[in-house]
Amino acid sequence: MDNGFWLALLLVSAGTLGMRFLPLLWMQRHLLKQKSQGGLASIPGWLSVLGPLMIAAMLGVSLVPATADWSTWLATLLGALSAFMVWLWTKSLGWPVLAGVSSYGLVILLVRISTGG
Amino acid sequence: MSWQNGAREATPLLGGYIPVAISFGMVAVQAGFSVWQSILISTLIYAGASQFLFVAMVAAGAPWGLVVVMTLLINARHVVYGPSIAPWLPKSRWWPFLSHGLTDQIFALALSRLPQLPAEQRLGWYSGAMLLAWFSWVAGTAAGAIAGEELSRHWPLLGEIMPFALPALFLVLLAPRFTSRTWSIALGATIAVAMLLTLYGFTNASIPLAAASGALCFYLAKLTIRAGGYRNG
Repeated sequence: MDNGFWLALLLVSAGTLGMRFLPLLWMQRHLLKQKSQGGLASIPGWLSVLGPLMIAAMLGVSLVPATADWSTWLATLLGALSAFMVWLWTKSLGWPVLAGVSSYGLVILLVRISTGG
Repeated sequence: MSWQNGAREATPLLGGYIPVAISFGMVAVQAGFSVWQSILISTLIYAGASQFLFVAMVAAGAPWGLVVVMTLLINARHVVYGPSIAPWLPKSRWWPFLSHGLTDQIFALALSRLPQLPAEQRLGWYSGAMLLAWFSWVAGTAAGAIAGEELSRHWPLLGEIMPFALPALFLVLLAPRFTSRTWSIALGATIAVAMLLTLYGFTNASIPLAAASGALCFYLAKLTIRAGGYRNG
């Protein structure tokens, strides 16, 4: 690797950090200004809509299996259903994830055993 | 202790982070990077998809300028994360460092959990969650770069099964948001668009594009429901 690697690494790292930090700093200052002017400190309406939608988009992307065939889709469906059912029951974070991963893994294992793969 | 709570609640992320980080370490070494360079990329850039692109473009001999621009373009979605959680974050001189850990997953977790926590616990909670996720990513990369092939030989299925922790976690974070017809339409449309774009190979663009489509659906549904209300009322 030549010097280009180090320069590129530096630029991408600084750029990514800037994209994470500067908008946060800007919004914190904006909220403080709102508060000091006696207003109610709140973020713009479109931003409070966009936040949950970004999580929904991440869910959509991560639901698509890396190797998409009937067995991985079935495992995804059952894994998601298990996670949802356990969430309805416990309303916690950890147990539904554990249930989802276990169901997903169980389906993959059973399919591998039954097909001899 | 609030940082311990944060670390505990971020533990499900490890199921997704470690296998992907191991894959990244393997891919980077195979592409000609040294073990230390691979670890440095994960430590400093710390953004999954863009790291894979960075390594793939360098291995393909792309010009450095193009590598930088493309990698930053993929990370551009991060600009909305900080402002979205800003109302729940106290002022601290540590933010230039702490915001380095504001990944997709930490954002999703923070947006759901921070509003439920007392103000004095939020900084500690975020620090614990962010540090655990970051260390797991760097450690996973190191493991993949040093012994990736051996790990995948010993536990071939683990790398396939554990990443399901991420969709399971997103599902749990999103489930309480289906509070009205408007939100259900917008969230459902976003998930569907993101899945379609990913299936057709537009994985990198799918998060911002799907979220933008969802926002459009949200405002259209709101307008339609309001108009229906006026007609009926």
